[in-house]
Amino acid sequence: MNLVLLYLLLLKAVATSFSGLASLPVLRADLVEHHRVLTDAQLSMAVAIGRAGPGPIGLYVVSVGYFAGGLPGAAAGLLALVTPAFLIIPALLCLRRAGSRPELRGAIQGVMFAAAGLLLSTTLPLARHAVTGRLSAALAAASFAALAFTRVDAAWVILGAAAVGLVAGLAG
Amino acid sequence: MAKLTLGRLLAIALRVGNMTFGGGDPTMAAFHRELVVRRGWLDPDQYTLAFALARVTPGTNLLAFCAGVGWQLLGWRGALAMVLAPTVPSAVLAVLLTHTAAAWGNKGVISGVFGSLAAAAVGMTAAAAWLLLKPHLKGPNAVRPLALAGGAIALSLGAWLSPVQVLGLAAVAGILWRRQEAE
Repeated sequence: MNLVLLYLLLLKAVATSFSGLASLPVLRADLVEHHRVLTDAQLSMAVAIGRAGPGPIGLYVVSVGYFAGGLPGAAAGLLALVTPAFLIIPALLCLRRAGSRPELRGAIQGVMFAAAGLLLSTTLPLARHAVTGRLSAALAAASFAALAFTRVDAAWVILGAAAVGLVAGLAG
Repeated sequence: MAKLTLGRLLAIALRVGNMTFGGGDPTMAAFHRELVVRRGWLDPDQYTLAFALARVTPGTNLLAFCAGVGWQLLGWRGALAMVLAPTVPSAVLAVLLTHTAAAWGNKGVISGVFGSLAAAAVGMTAAAAWLLLKPHLKGPNAVRPLALAGGAIALSLGAWLSPVQVLGLAAVAGILWRRQEAE
């Protein structure tokens, strides 16, 4: 895939979201469904890798870029991840009170709620590839519960899932 | 108190940005401790302004926050340092892990490990959606987030609109619904 196009598609996904994984539905629609340069299995893996280490949650975009275009793709992912951040500077200069305007807050909340819905609908195609038996179903459910209802760090969830997979692989 | 320099700011951004797990909020809290409380380089109002504007800046909140803090401290140099320091080393780690997954992900025990990670990612994605909605599900206004999220699910699963179109529609709905409440 053309590197500029990959950057623009990743940028579009990042810039139309307001939090880490909220870019996932847009990214999946473009790279998995439309351009077919990424599989759902790779997308699931990228999400897990993005949460495995330190840094922002949106870092999974770098992993997506690598799957889609190797090292140059990863660089495009990193660039797409950081580009929108600098929009805060004109905002600091011109819109110091914008955050308190009810219209803007309403629009952002609307986008955030829809992003939550889109994220939920994205889990279905991801689950079709990743949840293939009782063990993987239990891991998905346990990961959801750990992150949704406790304050445990995501890194521990990733480590725990990896350990379970390792033990299951050695045993089976 | 140490004087603010680009080198010192970069060192703090590298340490905090790459050694704090858990995403944006814990990292921003760690920056508050380092830059506001311990060193006094940033005053609480500047921190709050960057924090608030980062919430309304498209993209990753943490990186917008870093750009805003860095720019207020040292202009464009500070913004670049604060954005790149927490991302480049973590991105290198992500590339190494992705390369391992691509090269070894279908082989033996490694396949089991990556299969488990993919299953965990499904749960984590659903949890991310829940955590976006959860703070807004209290009281009589809970119907608004549920209706907008449910509408997005329906439009998405029905394949009637692309995700970007759904988000645009949600922005308009968010403005209109809020105005009705105000009136």
